Amino acid sequence: MGIVDFVLIGLIVGGAFYLLYRSLWKKKGYCHGCDSAGKCK
Amino acid sequence: MTAPTAARSFPVVETAVLRVAVAGNPNSGKSTLINSLAGTRLHVGNWPGVTVEKKEAALEHRGQRIALIDLPGTYSLSPYTEEEIIARDFLVHDRPDIIVDVVDATNLERNLYLTLQLLELGIPVIVALNIYDEAEKKGYKIDVKAMEAALGVTVVPTVATRKTGMNDLLEAVTGAIAKGSRSLPRSQSYGEDIEAAVKMLTAGIVDRHPALVERYPRRWLALKLMEGDRRVLAEANISGVDSLMKDAVGHLREAHGEDLESLMADARYSLAAGLTREVLQRPSVRKTEMTEKIDRVVLNRFLGIPIFFAAMWFVFKMTFDLSAPFADWLDGAINGPLTRWIEASTNLLHGPDWLVSLMTKGVIAGVGSVLVFVPVIFAMMFFITFLEGSGYMARAAFVMDRAMHSMGLHGKSFIPMILGFGCNVPAIYATRTLENPRDKALTALLIPLMSCGARLPVYILFVGAFFSAQSGTVLWSLYVMGIVLAVLMGILFKRTLFRGESPMFIMELPPYRMPSGRSLAIHTWEKGKHFLIKAGTYILAVSVLVWFLLNLPWGVENKKDSYLGKVGSAIAPVFAPLGFGNWEASSSLIAGVIAKEIVVGTMGEIYVRETEKKPEGPAPTFFEDLREIGTSFASAGREAFTNVISTVGITSLKAEEKEEEATLRSVVAKSFTPLSAYAFMAFVLLYMPCVVAAAAFKHEFGTWKWFGVAFVYQTILAWSVAFIVYQGGKLFGIGG
Repeated sequence: MGIVDFVLIGLIVGGAFYLLYRSLWKKKGYCHGCDSAGKCK
Repeated sequence: MTAPTAARSFPVVETAVLRVAVAGNPNSGKSTLINSLAGTRLHVGNWPGVTVEKKEAALEHRGQRIALIDLPGTYSLSPYTEEEIIARDFLVHDRPDIIVDVVDATNLERNLYLTLQLLELGIPVIVALNIYDEAEKKGYKIDVKAMEAALGVTVVPTVATRKTGMNDLLEAVTGAIAKGSRSLPRSQSYGEDIEAAVKMLTAGIVDRHPALVERYPRRWLALKLMEGDRRVLAEANISGVDSLMKDAVGHLREAHGEDLESLMADARYSLAAGLTREVLQRPSVRKTEMTEKIDRVVLNRFLGIPIFFAAMWFVFKMTFDLSAPFADWLDGAINGPLTRWIEASTNLLHGPDWLVSLMTKGVIAGVGSVLVFVPVIFAMMFFITFLEGSGYMARAAFVMDRAMHSMGLHGKSFIPMILGFGCNVPAIYATRTLENPRDKALTALLIPLMSCGARLPVYILFVGAFFSAQSGTVLWSLYVMGIVLAVLMGILFKRTLFRGESPMFIMELPPYRMPSGRSLAIHTWEKGKHFLIKAGTYILAVSVLVWFLLNLPWGVENKKDSYLGKVGSAIAPVFAPLGFGNWEASSSLIAGVIAKEIVVGTMGEIYVRETEKKPEGPAPTFFEDLREIGTSFASAGREAFTNVISTVGITSLKAEEKEEEATLRSVVAKSFTPLSAYAFMAFVLLYMPCVVAAAAFKHEFGTWKWFGVAFVYQTILAWSVAFIVYQGGKLFGIGG
């Protein structure tokens, strides 16, 4: 495993965490099922 | 249509966007009308209460930009329900430029009650006389001109489902703001006594409370003060014993008693009845309608609930039979050609071995295992949409009313619970249609027991592996288990956390309608796409993280020694009495806390090495793969057709026939017994709500309290039920 592998792993894991943060935490209460705009006021 | 004959006109409002509020009774077709006008995909259903918050859609007509605001359906503008308050606050405080009042032409008198209240607001109103085709079918003759003359507004007959009258309606809307043609509706007279009091109150308000005139429409404010509307009294800071009130309504109180709200309601109902008599001609001989004939059977006190459960069984059977061949096809395409293509592409780019493994054994195995069930989810959502659109869902709530009463709720609470079959998240939001905070909290606590689409992949995997001959029945039993446990838990909660009387249930039963193909397609897609979005976001993210957790410490040979394996092994003993005390099942359940589908995705990753099987001979070319995908899709279509039309002994997902194909299903079949598989499915059905549902609890109730209650009781319930299933089954020698 070289430095490139570590950087790549860092990017992938960071991306996965960001995806989780964005879809579960940042948009908490976000509701795909409510309407086409996906928001419940 | 002619311009309104009404009162005074005033200058065009200088707004770039015309704000049009779409108001009306529940189930009068407001959302459908907006969808037809603006091409949006707002959720519609043939049952009251689909729209629980205001939503917007934009369009342009003759260069005029129009914002349509879809208000929740209400029968009146009184301040008693969440929907009424949302609709009323918007109309009074946000002051739209025009109100389009969607009136159900088949139920004119009841709808006109709201129309009269809208006319009080001093905002231009256009009446969309919707569902006009059904009114004609019933033999109703509505004199549109007479209605326009009586109300002093433009009336446009429409059939929103067929887009009939949409252009006329837009012409009326834009015409209303054309210079000099915009006009206010005529004030309706509620009788001499009331009008005299209104006049005195209006004058008094202008004189003594001029600031209020800026905030409220004068006539509306006077009427609300007279009714003793508590919200308006509080907002306006006018006491009910204020001298102005005494002067204005004192004689009314003397003549009619203290309850002036009822007096006003009577006045409006009388006027609505009178208007209806003026404009509507009903057929002299009334036929028994199809809806009534069906309801005599479907709502029968003895047959109602069995018919509901039979309908559910039919839906699950059809879902399984129709979608299983396509799920198999997708499984083959993802685990065969797609995996080969991704592997080849990563190698071509000289990607390291671990990256190839991450792509094939992490992303493909994880996300792919879940995506396989896309056909099942869409089939299920199609049937749910069909039941919603047909009007049967409202009947389901009605027949469940008695069972709901036993737990201190009423049938209206069953509507959010039925929505929970699609996804628990919008169902939790739908509890806002319930007036009582106690009902809201109790209903929300029971919603996670309704088996949502996310649990379906787990069921299909295990049902396919162990119960293919009784697929529909086993699937149905899990959904029924959820409902029965919801009733039992409701009774328990009623006796502990939520003591109190259950309110009366008054619910409108809409006529049966055949949903249009377009509506079915749009709403099936809207519900199903949620699943695809999840697959592309947090299921993908979790699959990547699970792959790392299965491969750390780096280079670990045995997955049981990985970090995930160690955590799974540590908690596995908890599940041992339930029949699945292995680290693979435990790890999958932990990951499934994010979303229930991830249980399957994680299993896909854990078992991937065991299911790995290199093909013999040279790998097929890209075009051979494409041809194979096309051919197998056609076979899946034929199989689905045969399944659906077959009347006896349908068996899909034949695990025994595919044993050689080393699929996830076959590995699962070796790792569980039928009994432990059923206990596992019951546990997945019942254990804690997913993370997004947790966020919905917090968002809707503003506290983590109710999610905390759901988390604790569901975890205990899931363990207990799975224990009873497994140990009870063993005791009786079933499926061990």
